[in-house]
Amino acid sequence: MTDELLVVRAQLGERAALAELVERWRLPVWTYVRRMLDAERADDVSQEVWLAVVRSLPRLREPGRFAPWLFTIARRSVTDRLRAEYARAAEQAHDPGPDVAVAEDAIEAMTDRAELVAVLSGLPVLEREVLVLFYLEELSVAECAQICQVPAGTVKSRLNRARRLLREHMEGYPR
Amino acid sequence: MNEEPELSAAEMIERLEPALSPGRRARAVVALVAGLGGALFTTGLWWTEPGPLPGRTHLVFGLLTVICLAWAGYGGWLVTRRVPLFASDRVAAAWIALAACLSTSAAVAVIAGQRGSGLGVSLVVGGLLVVVALTLLVRAHARRAALLRRKRELTGEV
Repeated sequence: MTDELLVVRAQLGERAALAELVERWRLPVWTYVRRMLDAERADDVSQEVWLAVVRSLPRLREPGRFAPWLFTIARRSVTDRLRAEYARAAEQAHDPGPDVAVAEDAIEAMTDRAELVAVLSGLPVLEREVLVLFYLEELSVAECAQICQVPAGTVKSRLNRARRLLREHMEGYPR
Repeated sequence: MNEEPELSAAEMIERLEPALSPGRRARAVVALVAGLGGALFTTGLWWTEPGPLPGRTHLVFGLLTVICLAWAGYGGWLVTRRVPLFASDRVAAAWIALAACLSTSAAVAVIAGQRGSGLGVSLVVGGLLVVVALTLLVRAHARRAALLRRKRELTGEV
Protein backbone atom coordinates (compact mmCIF):
# COMPACT_ATOMS: atom_id res chain seq x y z
CA MET A 1 0.00 0.00 0.00
CA THR A 2 1.40 3.39 -1.00
CA ASP A 3 1.94 6.27 1.40
CA GLU A 4 -0.57 8.32 -0.54
CA LEU A 5 -3.30 5.73 -0.04
CA LEU A 6 -2.49 5.48 3.65
CA VAL A 7 -2.62 9.27 4.01
CA VAL A 8 -5.94 9.48 2.15
CA ARG A 9 -7.42 6.75 4.34
CA ALA A 10 -6.08 8.45 7.46
CA GLN A 11 -7.53 11.78 6.34
CA LEU A 12 -10.88 10.07 5.95
CA GLY A 13 -10.64 9.10 9.61
CA GLU A 14 -9.41 5.48 9.42
CA ARG A 15 -7.38 4.88 12.58
CA ALA A 16 -5.75 1.72 11.21
CA ALA A 17 -4.26 3.71 8.33
CA LEU A 18 -2.89 6.31 10.72
CA ALA A 19 -1.36 3.59 12.87
CA GLU A 20 0.26 2.06 9.80
CA LEU A 21 1.70 5.45 8.79
CA VAL A 22 3.23 5.83 12.24
CA GLU A 23 4.58 2.29 12.07
CA ARG A 24 6.07 2.87 8.62
CA TRP A 25 7.65 6.28 9.26
CA ARG A 26 8.50 6.09 12.95
CA LEU A 27 12.06 4.90 12.40
CA PRO A 28 12.99 7.29 9.53
CA VAL A 29 11.67 10.24 11.56
CA TRP A 30 13.50 9.11 14.68
CA THR A 31 16.70 8.52 12.66
CA TYR A 32 16.57 12.03 11.24
CA VAL A 33 15.91 13.57 14.66
CA ARG A 34 18.56 11.39 16.31
CA ARG A 35 21.19 12.53 13.83
CA MET A 36 20.40 16.13 14.69
CA LEU A 37 20.03 15.76 18.47
CA ASP A 38 21.12 13.43 21.24
CA ALA A 39 19.28 10.22 22.16
CA GLU A 40 17.26 11.61 25.03
CA ARG A 41 15.98 14.54 22.98
CA ALA A 42 15.43 12.34 19.94
CA ASP A 43 12.67 10.37 21.66
CA ASP A 44 11.11 13.48 23.07
CA VAL A 45 11.22 15.45 19.84
CA SER A 46 9.98 12.45 17.82
CA GLN A 47 6.87 12.45 19.95
CA GLU A 48 6.40 16.15 19.34
CA VAL A 49 6.80 15.53 15.62
CA TRP A 50 4.11 12.85 15.56
CA LEU A 51 1.73 14.94 17.62
CA ALA A 52 2.16 17.81 15.15
CA VAL A 53 1.70 15.38 12.25
CA VAL A 54 -1.55 14.02 13.67
CA ARG A 55 -2.87 17.52 14.32
CA SER A 56 -1.97 18.79 10.84
CA LEU A 57 -2.75 15.70 8.78
CA PRO A 58 -6.37 16.70 7.96
CA ARG A 59 -5.00 19.88 6.34
CA LEU A 60 -2.40 18.15 4.13
CA ARG A 61 -3.52 19.00 0.59
CA GLU A 62 -1.12 16.79 -1.35
CA PRO A 63 -1.17 13.29 0.17
CA GLY A 64 1.28 12.16 -2.51
CA ARG A 65 3.93 14.44 -1.01
CA PHE A 66 3.71 13.06 2.50
CA ALA A 67 7.44 12.43 3.03
CA PRO A 68 8.68 16.00 2.42
CA TRP A 69 5.75 17.34 4.47
CA LEU A 70 6.63 14.97 7.32
CA PHE A 71 10.29 15.96 7.32
CA THR A 72 9.35 19.64 7.17
CA ILE A 73 7.48 19.15 10.43
CA ALA A 74 10.38 17.12 11.87
CA ARG A 75 12.82 19.83 10.86
CA ARG A 76 10.66 22.51 12.48
CA SER A 77 10.56 20.55 15.74
CA VAL A 78 14.33 20.03 15.68
CA THR A 79 14.92 23.72 14.89
CA ASP A 80 12.62 24.79 17.72
CA ARG A 81 14.49 22.55 20.13
CA LEU A 82 17.90 23.79 18.97
CA ARG A 83 16.70 27.38 19.15
CA ALA A 84 15.47 26.85 22.71
CA GLU A 85 18.82 25.29 23.61
CA TYR A 86 20.64 28.18 21.97
CA ALA A 87 18.56 30.76 23.85
CA ARG A 88 19.20 28.97 27.12
CA ALA A 89 22.92 28.77 26.40
CA ALA A 90 23.01 32.46 25.45
CA GLU A 91 21.41 33.33 28.79
CA GLN A 92 23.99 31.23 30.58
CA ALA A 93 26.74 32.98 28.61
CA HIS A 94 25.62 36.30 30.07
CA ASP A 95 25.50 34.79 33.51
CA PRO A 96 29.02 34.72 35.05
CA GLY A 97 28.57 31.14 36.21
CA PRO A 98 30.79 28.13 35.77
CA ASP A 99 29.17 27.15 32.42
CA VAL A 100 30.35 30.17 30.46
CA ALA A 101 33.12 28.32 28.72
CA VAL A 102 30.96 25.51 27.43
CA ALA A 103 28.01 27.67 26.41
CA GLU A 104 29.70 29.52 23.54
CA ASP A 105 27.71 27.81 20.88
CA ALA A 106 24.75 25.69 21.89
CA ILE A 107 24.31 24.07 18.51
CA GLU A 108 27.93 23.03 18.38
CA ALA A 109 27.64 21.85 21.96
CA MET A 110 24.66 19.74 21.03
CA THR A 111 26.57 18.39 18.07
CA ASP A 112 29.35 17.39 20.42
CA ARG A 113 26.92 15.61 22.69
CA ALA A 114 25.67 13.52 19.79
CA GLU A 115 28.66 11.29 20.30
CA LEU A 116 27.06 8.12 18.99
CA VAL A 117 26.97 9.49 15.47
CA ALA A 118 30.71 9.86 15.44
CA VAL A 119 31.23 11.00 11.90
CA LEU A 120 28.08 13.01 11.31
CA SER A 121 28.37 14.83 14.58
CA GLY A 122 31.56 16.45 13.34
CA LEU A 123 29.66 18.35 10.68
CA PRO A 124 27.85 21.68 11.10
CA VAL A 125 24.10 21.38 11.57
CA LEU A 126 23.06 22.66 8.13
CA GLU A 127 25.43 20.35 6.26
CA ARG A 128 24.57 17.41 8.51
CA GLU A 129 20.90 17.99 7.89
CA VAL A 130 21.13 17.81 4.09
CA LEU A 131 23.35 14.73 4.31
CA VAL A 132 20.79 12.98 6.51
CA LEU A 133 17.85 13.96 4.32
CA PHE A 134 19.56 13.23 0.99
CA TYR A 135 21.52 10.07 1.74
CA LEU A 136 19.88 8.48 4.76
CA GLU A 137 16.25 9.41 4.09
CA GLU A 138 16.82 9.16 0.32
CA LEU A 139 14.90 12.33 -0.50
CA SER A 140 15.50 14.23 -3.74
CA VAL A 141 17.30 17.57 -3.92
CA ALA A 142 13.96 19.28 -4.63
CA GLU A 143 12.37 17.66 -1.57
CA CYS A 144 15.35 18.60 0.61
CA ALA A 145 15.03 22.17 -0.66
CA GLN A 146 11.33 22.19 0.22
CA ILE A 147 11.98 20.83 3.70
CA CYS A 148 14.89 23.18 4.44
CA GLN A 149 13.08 26.11 2.78
CA VAL A 150 16.07 27.04 0.64
CA PRO A 151 16.63 26.97 -3.16
CA ALA A 152 17.76 23.68 -4.73
CA GLY A 153 21.12 25.29 -5.55
CA THR A 154 21.73 25.94 -1.86
CA VAL A 155 20.99 22.30 -1.08
CA LYS A 156 23.52 21.24 -3.73
CA SER A 157 26.18 23.59 -2.38
CA ARG A 158 25.52 22.38 1.19
CA LEU A 159 25.79 18.79 -0.04
CA ASN A 160 29.11 19.55 -1.73
CA ARG A 161 30.43 21.22 1.36
CA ALA A 162 29.13 18.39 3.55
CA ARG A 163 30.81 15.79 1.35
CA ARG A 164 34.09 17.73 1.48
CA LEU A 165 33.90 18.12 5.26
CA LEU A 166 32.99 14.47 5.63
CA ARG A 167 35.96 13.45 3.50
CA GLU A 168 38.31 15.63 5.53
CA HIS A 169 36.84 14.29 8.74
CA MET A 170 37.19 10.66 7.60
CA GLU A 171 40.80 11.24 6.55
CA GLY A 172 41.61 12.59 9.98
CA TYR A 173 39.58 9.94 11.79
CA PRO A 174 41.63 7.25 13.63
CA ARG A 175 41.18 3.78 12.11
CA MET B 1 24.62 3.21 14.79
CA ASN B 2 22.52 0.41 16.21
CA GLU B 3 20.32 2.60 18.34
CA GLU B 4 16.61 2.13 18.43
CA PRO B 5 13.89 4.57 19.43
CA GLU B 6 12.78 4.11 23.00
CA LEU B 7 9.11 3.97 22.03
CA SER B 8 7.67 1.21 19.88
CA ALA B 9 5.08 2.07 17.23
CA ALA B 10 2.30 0.82 19.50
CA GLU B 11 3.57 2.95 22.38
CA MET B 12 3.85 5.98 20.13
CA ILE B 13 0.25 5.53 18.96
CA GLU B 14 -0.78 5.11 22.57
CA ARG B 15 0.85 8.46 23.38
CA LEU B 16 -1.10 10.04 20.52
CA GLU B 17 -4.40 8.67 21.81
CA PRO B 18 -5.40 11.79 23.78
CA ALA B 19 -5.21 13.91 20.62
CA LEU B 20 -7.23 11.33 18.70
CA SER B 21 -9.88 10.63 21.31
CA PRO B 22 -13.41 10.92 19.83
CA GLY B 23 -14.65 12.39 23.12
CA ARG B 24 -12.13 15.20 22.95
CA ARG B 25 -13.08 15.99 19.36
CA ALA B 26 -16.76 15.97 20.26
CA ARG B 27 -16.15 18.27 23.24
CA ALA B 28 -14.23 20.72 21.02
CA VAL B 29 -17.05 20.86 18.46
CA VAL B 30 -19.71 21.15 21.16
CA ALA B 31 -17.81 23.99 22.86
CA LEU B 32 -17.59 25.88 19.57
CA VAL B 33 -21.20 25.31 18.50
CA ALA B 34 -22.77 25.76 21.94
CA GLY B 35 -20.70 28.90 22.53
CA LEU B 36 -21.79 30.46 19.26
CA GLY B 37 -25.40 29.35 19.71
CA GLY B 38 -25.46 30.63 23.27
CA ALA B 39 -24.00 33.98 22.23
CA LEU B 40 -26.61 34.32 19.48
CA PHE B 41 -29.45 33.35 21.79
CA THR B 42 -28.36 35.68 24.60
CA THR B 43 -27.82 38.58 22.21
CA GLY B 44 -31.21 37.89 20.64
CA LEU B 45 -32.92 37.99 24.02
CA TRP B 46 -31.02 41.14 24.95
CA TRP B 47 -31.95 43.02 21.79
CA THR B 48 -35.58 42.01 21.83
CA GLU B 49 -36.24 42.85 25.48
CA PRO B 50 -39.30 45.14 25.46
CA GLY B 51 -38.93 48.36 27.37
CA PRO B 52 -35.86 49.87 29.05
CA LEU B 53 -33.72 47.50 31.11
CA PRO B 54 -31.95 48.30 34.40
CA GLY B 55 -28.17 48.62 34.22
CA ARG B 56 -27.65 45.40 36.15
CA THR B 57 -29.63 43.40 33.58
CA HIS B 58 -27.53 44.88 30.77
CA LEU B 59 -24.43 43.85 32.67
CA VAL B 60 -25.70 40.28 33.11
CA PHE B 61 -26.62 39.97 29.43
CA GLY B 62 -23.22 41.35 28.46
CA LEU B 63 -21.43 38.93 30.79
CA LEU B 64 -23.42 35.96 29.49
CA THR B 65 -22.59 36.92 25.90
CA VAL B 66 -18.88 37.26 26.72
CA ILE B 67 -18.86 33.87 28.47
CA CYS B 68 -20.52 32.23 25.46
CA LEU B 69 -18.07 33.90 23.07
CA ALA B 70 -15.17 32.75 25.26
CA TRP B 71 -16.41 29.15 24.98
CA ALA B 72 -16.79 29.58 21.24
CA GLY B 73 -13.23 30.93 21.02
CA TYR B 74 -11.91 28.05 23.09
CA GLY B 75 -13.77 25.52 20.91
CA GLY B 76 -12.50 27.23 17.75
CA TRP B 77 -8.94 27.10 19.04
CA LEU B 78 -9.30 23.40 19.89
CA VAL B 79 -10.81 22.57 16.51
CA THR B 80 -8.24 24.48 14.47
CA ARG B 81 -5.07 23.92 16.51
CA ARG B 82 -5.26 21.07 18.99
CA VAL B 83 -7.72 18.43 17.86
CA PRO B 84 -7.53 16.90 14.40
CA LEU B 85 -10.88 16.80 12.62
CA PHE B 86 -10.71 14.21 9.86
CA ALA B 87 -13.04 14.23 6.87
CA SER B 88 -15.79 12.17 8.50
CA ASP B 89 -15.52 14.23 11.70
CA ARG B 90 -15.92 17.42 9.68
CA VAL B 91 -19.12 16.15 8.11
CA ALA B 92 -20.54 15.26 11.54
CA ALA B 93 -19.38 18.61 12.97
CA ALA B 94 -20.98 20.52 10.10
CA TRP B 95 -24.32 18.72 10.66
CA ILE B 96 -24.15 19.55 14.38
CA ALA B 97 -23.41 23.19 13.52
CA LEU B 98 -26.32 23.34 11.06
CA ALA B 99 -28.75 21.82 13.56
CA ALA B 100 -27.58 24.21 16.27
CA CYS B 101 -27.83 27.25 13.97
CA LEU B 102 -31.31 26.29 12.78
CA SER B 103 -32.69 25.64 16.25
CA THR B 104 -31.11 28.73 17.83
CA SER B 105 -32.17 31.00 14.97
CA ALA B 106 -35.70 29.62 15.11
CA ALA B 107 -35.89 30.07 18.89
CA VAL B 108 -34.63 33.66 18.70
CA ALA B 109 -37.02 34.47 15.83
CA VAL B 110 -40.00 33.01 17.73
CA ILE B 111 -39.14 35.01 20.86
CA ALA B 112 -38.60 38.17 18.79
CA GLY B 113 -41.96 37.60 17.06
CA GLN B 114 -43.78 37.16 20.38
CA ARG B 115 -42.20 40.31 21.76
CA GLY B 116 -42.85 42.21 18.54
CA SER B 117 -39.38 43.70 18.27
CA GLY B 118 -36.12 42.77 16.50
CA LEU B 119 -37.68 40.08 14.30
CA GLY B 120 -36.01 41.39 11.14
CA VAL B 121 -32.54 41.55 12.70
CA SER B 122 -32.85 38.10 14.27
CA LEU B 123 -33.98 36.61 10.94
CA VAL B 124 -31.07 38.21 9.07
CA VAL B 125 -28.44 37.16 11.64
CA GLY B 126 -29.94 33.66 11.98
CA GLY B 127 -30.12 33.33 8.19
CA LEU B 128 -26.48 34.34 7.84
CA LEU B 129 -25.38 31.76 10.41
CA VAL B 130 -27.42 29.04 8.69
CA VAL B 131 -25.79 29.97 5.36
CA VAL B 132 -22.35 29.72 6.95
CA ALA B 133 -23.23 26.32 8.48
CA LEU B 134 -24.59 25.11 5.12
CA THR B 135 -21.40 26.23 3.37
CA LEU B 136 -19.30 24.31 5.91
CA LEU B 137 -21.50 21.25 5.39
CA VAL B 138 -21.18 21.39 1.59
CA ARG B 139 -17.42 21.84 1.84
CA ALA B 140 -17.08 18.97 4.32
CA HIS B 141 -19.08 16.66 2.04
CA ALA B 142 -17.06 17.75 -1.00
CA ARG B 143 -13.77 17.14 0.80
CA ARG B 144 -14.84 13.67 1.93
CA ALA B 145 -16.13 12.83 -1.55
CA ALA B 146 -12.82 13.94 -3.09
CA LEU B 147 -10.86 11.77 -0.66
CA LEU B 148 -13.13 8.77 -1.28
CA ARG B 149 -12.71 9.27 -5.04
CA ARG B 150 -8.93 9.39 -4.66
CA LYS B 151 -9.02 6.30 -2.46
CA ARG B 152 -10.96 4.41 -5.15
CA GLU B 153 -8.48 5.55 -7.81
CA LEU B 154 -5.53 4.39 -5.73
CA THR B 155 -7.05 1.01 -4.85
CA GLY B 156 -8.25 0.43 -8.42
CA GLU B 157 -11.90 0.15 -7.36
CA VAL B 158 -14.51 1.45 -9.81
